[in-house]
Amino acid sequence: MRFSRQALAGVFFSSPAIVFLVVFVVYPVLDAVRLSLLVVDFATDQTNFVGMANFAQMLRDPKLVPVATNTLVWTVASLIGQFGLGLGAALCISRDVPGMRLIRTILLLPYVVPVIAIALFWRWLLDGSYGLVSYLLQAAALLPANQSPLAIPDAAMASVILANIWRGFPFVMISYWAALQGIPQEQYEAAQVDGAGIWQEFWYVTLPNLLEITKVMLILRLIWTVTFFDIVWLITRGGPAGATEHWPIWIYQESMGFFRFGYGAALALALAILLMVVSSLYFALASRSSER
Amino acid sequence: MKSRAMVGSAVAYVVSLLLVVFIGFPLLWMLVSSFKPAEQLFVSPPRLLPSTLTLDWYRNVMLQSDAPTYFRNSLVIGAATTAICLSIGTLAAYGVTRFEFPGKRVFLIGALLSYVFPAIVLFVPIYMIINSLGLIDALAGVVIAHTILTFPFALWMLRSFFIAIPREIDEAAWVDGASYFLTFVAIILPLALPGVFSVGVFVFVLSWNEYLFAGVLITSGSLKTIPIGISEFITSFDVRWGEIMAMGALATMPVIALFLSVQRFFLRGVIAGAIKG
Repeated sequence: MRFSRQALAGVFFSSPAIVFLVVFVVYPVLDAVRLSLLVVDFATDQTNFVGMANFAQMLRDPKLVPVATNTLVWTVASLIGQFGLGLGAALCISRDVPGMRLIRTILLLPYVVPVIAIALFWRWLLDGSYGLVSYLLQAAALLPANQSPLAIPDAAMASVILANIWRGFPFVMISYWAALQGIPQEQYEAAQVDGAGIWQEFWYVTLPNLLEITKVMLILRLIWTVTFFDIVWLITRGGPAGATEHWPIWIYQESMGFFRFGYGAALALALAILLMVVSSLYFALASRSSER
Repeated sequence: MKSRAMVGSAVAYVVSLLLVVFIGFPLLWMLVSSFKPAEQLFVSPPRLLPSTLTLDWYRNVMLQSDAPTYFRNSLVIGAATTAICLSIGTLAAYGVTRFEFPGKRVFLIGALLSYVFPAIVLFVPIYMIINSLGLIDALAGVVIAHTILTFPFALWMLRSFFIAIPREIDEAAWVDGASYFLTFVAIILPLALPGVFSVGVFVFVLSWNEYLFAGVLITSGSLKTIPIGISEFITSFDVRWGEIMAMGALATMPVIALFLSVQRFFLRGVIAGAIKG
């Protein structure tokens, strides 16, 4: 097979990127599969092939059910909050009124604020002795004196979810905002001629136009929320007593806390496979519903 | 009809101002707290506005802690990650938007998949690779990890900027006898520069903020980055809130400034569908 000069040029320009992706992305993906079949003895650096034993251990692990439940609660609640707030905010900031550009910019800030900063001002607001939010809750007798919500299992989960909504809704907002810019004005005018009210306009014009972006964004946000490690780890470390330990923290604890690299890799692979199955099913269903 | 639009605008103002408070309050509270003297920081009930201001916390952080070293490390890692991402990224963006070659589709789909792939899933194998390269506890190891995390996103965003430059410009240069490489360096790259710059800012910000890999790949105190430095302030048994708030503010302000400088391009990138959250 002979390549044209153009094809050679394309390969030449892309080759550093291709090499990088093969070495540092494709190889780790394959290596993840290999590692998940091993037990690594950290003291002697010896590895033993154990087949599916890591996965069998995962299914027997008493942590499986609580961690999976926490992951589900964390993901569903975060997504509901981010999409609800994101859509509402997008509808507001897309109105062309004075000052909205500035408001839009401010609402985007959580996207760039370091997660460590989010975690620390959250912990400061929730500090048992001097935190503003803790104080207000204590004053309303919703919380015992000098206690932080982070010491109470359900309140700790609610806190990390709220922090995650704070951080994640701007992404949803700005994506919806971009989609709203693309809706032809004529559709609204036509609806108004037909006598549609605000709700009917929203229901019959706005929402159908947001369907496509919602489909894509939902699966992306699902993947990135399920696997989002930093914010939970930095606010609660999975505590109190494992109440906020979700799947990524479990992976981290097994690999970096107990140096069970094979088990950690197996947990990560199980999560990746689950996400792949969910996304495939999701896209199959989504494409069928858009054909109809 | 007119009144309906006015009601709509009024509702939009009220709701978005509430959201501004929701977003702005924690950030401002961090800033205000970092200037409060100890006797006003550690009181119950907390006071909204301090009666006197102090620079003590900033002085402690900059003069008596390792914070300056952390800032330098974060800057070095961020700059190196950005340089690598942009150099291999612009080359590839030029290659895939100008030429057809066998395997191009596989390459683009692969890049898209790795853009979706979450870091924690590849956490162990990436740690192992960097370990086998002997780069544990070296800034270069963190640079590699950060490039893995940001490169697929950078490539997709760069591609959207390169597509927007008409191919006729290249063809005119080629007809005039310019080589492919010269056309890329001297003509197309300068045209793409605003986009390249904004991608660079985002890569830098992602690297500056990254916690997971910077935390596990570095063990020596002198090589730690800012997020790691701050998190150690928190976990020490007496939590030094004054210093923590000052450091948080110092870590946040540069990225907010950078973001404001490129937000116009950021919005264009969002519309091109190439932003990672």
